Amino acid sequence: MCMLSKLLQKIKGARLWQAALLLLLTTVVIISCSITIDSIDQPDSVQGGETLTSTLHVTINTNDTRSAKFMVALLVPKVWNASGNAKITFTSSITTGTQTMSAIPAGTAAPQAGGKDWPTLIADKIGNGGNLLPGWEWVAFYSDKAYSVVANDAITVTITIKAKVSNDNLSFKLGYVVANSSDGLSDAQYYASAFPGCFRVFGQGDLMDYCNPQLSSIDPLSAMDNDIITLNFDAGVIDSELKDADELYLCLKGVTTKGDTLDGCAQNDRTRLSTYALKKWRIDIWPRQFFNLSKSQQLESLVYYFTDKTGQVKVGKDGTGAVPFTYTFKCQ
Amino acid sequence: MKRYFNLGLLVLLLWVFTLLSCHRETVVTPIESTKLLNGTWKITKALRNGTDLTSRFDFSGFKIVFQDSTYTLDSLVPFPVTENGAFHLDDPKYPFKLFLKAGDGDYKELNMDYPINAGVRNIIISFSPGCSSNTYQYTLQKVN
Repeated sequence: MCMLSKLLQKIKGARLWQAALLLLLTTVVIISCSITIDSIDQPDSVQGGETLTSTLHVTINTNDTRSAKFMVALLVPKVWNASGNAKITFTSSITTGTQTMSAIPAGTAAPQAGGKDWPTLIADKIGNGGNLLPGWEWVAFYSDKAYSVVANDAITVTITIKAKVSNDNLSFKLGYVVANSSDGLSDAQYYASAFPGCFRVFGQGDLMDYCNPQLSSIDPLSAMDNDIITLNFDAGVIDSELKDADELYLCLKGVTTKGDTLDGCAQNDRTRLSTYALKKWRIDIWPRQFFNLSKSQQLESLVYYFTDKTGQVKVGKDGTGAVPFTYTFKCQ
Repeated sequence: MKRYFNLGLLVLLLWVFTLLSCHRETVVTPIESTKLLNGTWKITKALRNGTDLTSRFDFSGFKIVFQDSTYTLDSLVPFPVTENGAFHLDDPKYPFKLFLKAGDGDYKELNMDYPINAGVRNIIISFSPGCSSNTYQYTLQKVN
């Protein structure tokens, strides 16, 4: 009886060791999985309306046999409409010929993401690359095919992205994420991201600078005179005479499509900005109401300064009263 | 023998009670009410591209009065129509679209929800008065 008990204990002990060993091996195998963006070839700038070509060099180290689609996501200005204007292809060490990818329809749930789609998941987990204006988006693409990989393989992938940019004049911090349709962003080892810096499009119109803090910006970036627009003033960006002001006012002029200038420069309740954070001010206006436009009138642009309560101290684009801020009404 | 008799009696009684417990079930199909918008509605919440503007912009100047198939409007905020006119719903029982027609113009189609929140009926409409990329969502509540 005693011998039988010892034998059973030995068997249980052996099973425990086997289980522990298996757990350890599993952990080692899982930890050894990785995906990295080794390098990015991307120009510093393009002309408006041209095509941006980027190449990503990626290495995937596999830990088990599985089948999944490859995912590439781009952080781009919304005005580029990248889901329709970008093409992504890739070659790899486990495939023959060029492989194609397609934009994932908005709302398609990402794997292991609690129902979130890829753009929402990436924005929540990885962010917006430090872009300072609204109007950015993540656009995700899946490979058109699923690929089977074997365990403990090192796969090299070369991704080519061709994105036709809009005519807008902008600087933007582009971003890239690579992952797969099985693991999603469930753990840091399963995806890689990269933000190669500020990218410039020499286009038309006012510069939309996502890279550097702006003394003034308007939200939405694209709007018509029948939208409610928010004019922001960040008094902390540079030293200006309004840096420490305790009241700020908007001195606004509207230019109609017929070339008439409408004067809305005043210091009153209607033009007073509110502060919402340290040295950050804003005012929301409906231009059609602000200028009391008739049905036949339409605004083409705005010219504006920020002033103190006397109206004597004016701050424009360069932090002085020399050059006003401008905004052109347009839709994407 | 007596035990079998008692068991038989028990089974018989159970069978009788089971039969008696049955009754004809009347299935009542609920009748969805026709949604009437009649009354005066004001904006209680306003979003632009998901950003809440309710406390930042003065929406108190907006008022729309629905009466049968017409509406009258006082609007000092962006809205799909600017004049009084006619309206109808895509489905009076399950409305998802509100159609507004100002004067002799064409009908403007607005997406619409008609939920009850905290016991209060709301109309939630969404539209783009300027650029189509800018979506506004107004929540309206009836003025008592």
